[in-house]
Amino acid sequence: MPIVPAELVHANLSIDREEVQRRLLAGETLLGESADHLVEVVDVLKSYGEVLDAYSINLIYQAEHQFLNPFPIFKYLDGDLNPAKIWRHLNHDRINFEYAEYCQKAMFWHATGGMDAYFDSEAFATNCRRIIAAKSRRDPLLAVLNPLFPGFLPELIRSAATTHALGQFWRVMSDLFLDLAAAEADGRVCTIADVVEFIKNGLVAAAANPIHYGVEVGGQSYWVLPPEAELTFLVDVAVPYVEAVFLRGMPFLGTVSFNAQAQQISPDQAQFTYGALYADPLPSMGSGIPPSLLMQDMYRHLPERLHQWYLERTRGEGDVRVKICMSFQKSMFCVTNAAINGTMPHPLDSSDPEARAANQAYAGAWAQRLGIARTDCLEA
Amino acid sequence: MLLTSLLLIPFAGTLALLLWPGGPSPSRLRLITIAILVLQLGMSVAVALAFDTAQAGMQLQERHAWLPGIGLDYALGVDGLSLPLVLINGALTLVSAVITRDIEKRPRIYFAMLLLISGAVNGAFLSENLLLFFLFYELELIPLWLLVSVWGGVNRAYAATKFLIFTAASGMLILGAFLGLALLTGSVDFSLTPVLSDRLAMGGQLWLLGALLIGFGIKIPLVPLHNWLPDTHTQASTPVSVLLAGVLLKLGTYGMLRFGLQLFPEAWAKLAPVLAIWAAISVLYGSLAAIAQTDMKRMVAYSSVGHMGYVLLAAASDTPVSLLGAVFQMVSHGLISALLFLLVGIVYRKTGTRDLAVLRGLLNLERGLPFTGSLMIVAVMASAGLPGMAGFISEFLVFRGSIAEYPVATLLSMVGSGLTAVYFLLLVNRAFFGRLAITPPSADAVADARLDVQLAPVAPRETVPAVALAAAVVVLGLVPSTLGRLSEVATTALASITAIPGGLG
Repeated sequence: MPIVPAELVHANLSIDREEVQRRLLAGETLLGESADHLVEVVDVLKSYGEVLDAYSINLIYQAEHQFLNPFPIFKYLDGDLNPAKIWRHLNHDRINFEYAEYCQKAMFWHATGGMDAYFDSEAFATNCRRIIAAKSRRDPLLAVLNPLFPGFLPELIRSAATTHALGQFWRVMSDLFLDLAAAEADGRVCTIADVVEFIKNGLVAAAANPIHYGVEVGGQSYWVLPPEAELTFLVDVAVPYVEAVFLRGMPFLGTVSFNAQAQQISPDQAQFTYGALYADPLPSMGSGIPPSLLMQDMYRHLPERLHQWYLERTRGEGDVRVKICMSFQKSMFCVTNAAINGTMPHPLDSSDPEARAANQAYAGAWAQRLGIARTDCLEA
Repeated sequence: MLLTSLLLIPFAGTLALLLWPGGPSPSRLRLITIAILVLQLGMSVAVALAFDTAQAGMQLQERHAWLPGIGLDYALGVDGLSLPLVLINGALTLVSAVITRDIEKRPRIYFAMLLLISGAVNGAFLSENLLLFFLFYELELIPLWLLVSVWGGVNRAYAATKFLIFTAASGMLILGAFLGLALLTGSVDFSLTPVLSDRLAMGGQLWLLGALLIGFGIKIPLVPLHNWLPDTHTQASTPVSVLLAGVLLKLGTYGMLRFGLQLFPEAWAKLAPVLAIWAAISVLYGSLAAIAQTDMKRMVAYSSVGHMGYVLLAAASDTPVSLLGAVFQMVSHGLISALLFLLVGIVYRKTGTRDLAVLRGLLNLERGLPFTGSLMIVAVMASAGLPGMAGFISEFLVFRGSIAEYPVATLLSMVGSGLTAVYFLLLVNRAFFGRLAITPPSADAVADARLDVQLAPVAPRETVPAVALAAAVVVLGLVPSTLGRLSEVATTALASITAIPGGLG
């Protein structure tokens, strides 16, 4: 018989679709209330905030300064080409900006929300033509590429626009998570419910922030995402981001392999469940975010309190990235919880039957998707 | 005196442990044993350094009359056939002692028995007298029986008794053959010379050789005499399995070459075609049975049955290349099977199971046993005969040396080599790949993905012996001349016994 205790082997499966819906409608937090959860969520979000700060700066730098650069070999250096920094980069003493690009690609590929609709508009095509014409005058490679592959450069511009938008989104989230850590340190946030409320307020406050993106070519400015497109933070970037990174994601190749021909991967992208909320924290790279790049980055900025908490559990430093991933998953449930609460059609205490039915349907739709996520981490 | 020291050190060590004043702690006993075994290994290396590789016969001989009336002499010698086995005995007994931890029950006797086995095995490999060989051959039986029956698994009594019955029968057959040789030739000289058998009629030779083949066939073991091995391995603790697979089975193959092929060259040549077919059956049966196993240790045990068949094939072919291959196979199988058992032991200690239907994903970097898994992949690659490792050299030499003599049996054995890759890939795939879990796989993928497993990590010191063995397997695979130089002259001389019509006599 295995020496591993049964309660450790069989994770709790009691939090199913009905329970998720019940918690959402009852105004309870998805993540169970406990002192350990508070430490995990606040501290892991603090380290995530630090990492997002670096990701955000880099994504915006890439979109603005490496725009249509065919060989962006220094794209992760944020324009700082000092030899010490290059050495640290080559020595891998650095943030894994690849992870940020990975999320950008997921958003770009799943293509939901207003930004994607705008990418297909005539206005965007016109902007692209102007930018490509200006750029081609200075770059002979682009001048050759564009007539040969007319769809190529507009696609790169779409990708750059997603990169910039994600950078703007993470700028807000980074500040929000660092503020959350400060609020917890001040005693303003003491429970998981406070955490969810704090994040919800932050998201609501930023909801209408405009999303723009302009580039400079030959000293002249061009809009890629102009103000007229009326793209906003919550609907056009945050929601597509949650859809692409938290929920859908992409299947990873690893020791657990997926056979697309055997229909192990849904042919319908909307049915994908490889996002952060479904991810297996063990790095068998089965699905979702492997606890590799992002977890390594968060480990660099781990607050001492959480580090100590990890050292006292399981393999200490040995499996610290798995534990970071598990805490991260809990915190992402809190962020999702905040987003759902913030976008609930009607107040939860409404007595109007129609409002209640609408809430029920809204919470039910979310529960449908979250009920099969890794809800085993939610209990106290 | 050099060879006597290889007996004196472990036997004196056994006595010292048994008589050590006070109640030394198990860890102190372990350290004393390790110190004695390091000394023994050092002496084995000294013997290797003193050994003249250009000379074919026995060297460093020591001879004293003991009981001349019954033909028992204290006659020791070493040649290219026995030297590698003496070295591997020294190394693997040391490994066994090093990997012995947490012996709470009678540690003094446990370590004394380890030393006793090591000394007896040295004695058997070095004996130049048939009766002396038999004494040492029997001497290792009781300590091993104790090691299985006292420190074994749940069904240890059954396994130990089965081992005792089979190997006692093996001993009786061997003694019967030796006495029969004396009786039929009317001599009381039990010295190791091929001259005696020459005086016998072919019928008598065949009977005696048949008895020896069955006797050593039990020890090797060859199908269908193998029945005791999987049970003994399954119930034995890891250090004992390492010793059993790595060293003790070699007593059978060594005996077969030394007392079968060397003493009865003419009868051997007559029986060789049958032996080649027997080898192929053993290889195929062992490999197919290994495929069917779900216990990792039983799988490795059946792989031993298959891989020992190569030695019989090589001996049946009796060419210089094949006999060199036989020696290589004995050494490489000793190292590789010891490594495999050691790694299975680590998996068992950490997970509490060896069931391939239960274990999965142990290669997991963060919470599995990744280094152990990596070493396991090295070990199974070596066992499957991948180039660059010891298994390749030995299998290549065996097949190259045998194909001209017995093409069908060799080709069938090569199929067995392919089957090794099949069962070991099954083992690695089931236990080490996939998502980490220690429960029976469920049909529900979602429920499966939620399993959370907490395994204690493997401390680096726990893998040191395995790393040393893996390194030896690779070194031997890359520089086979290290071993080849020691044995080539002896195996060529052995092959020439039957090449000359009528043998040496």
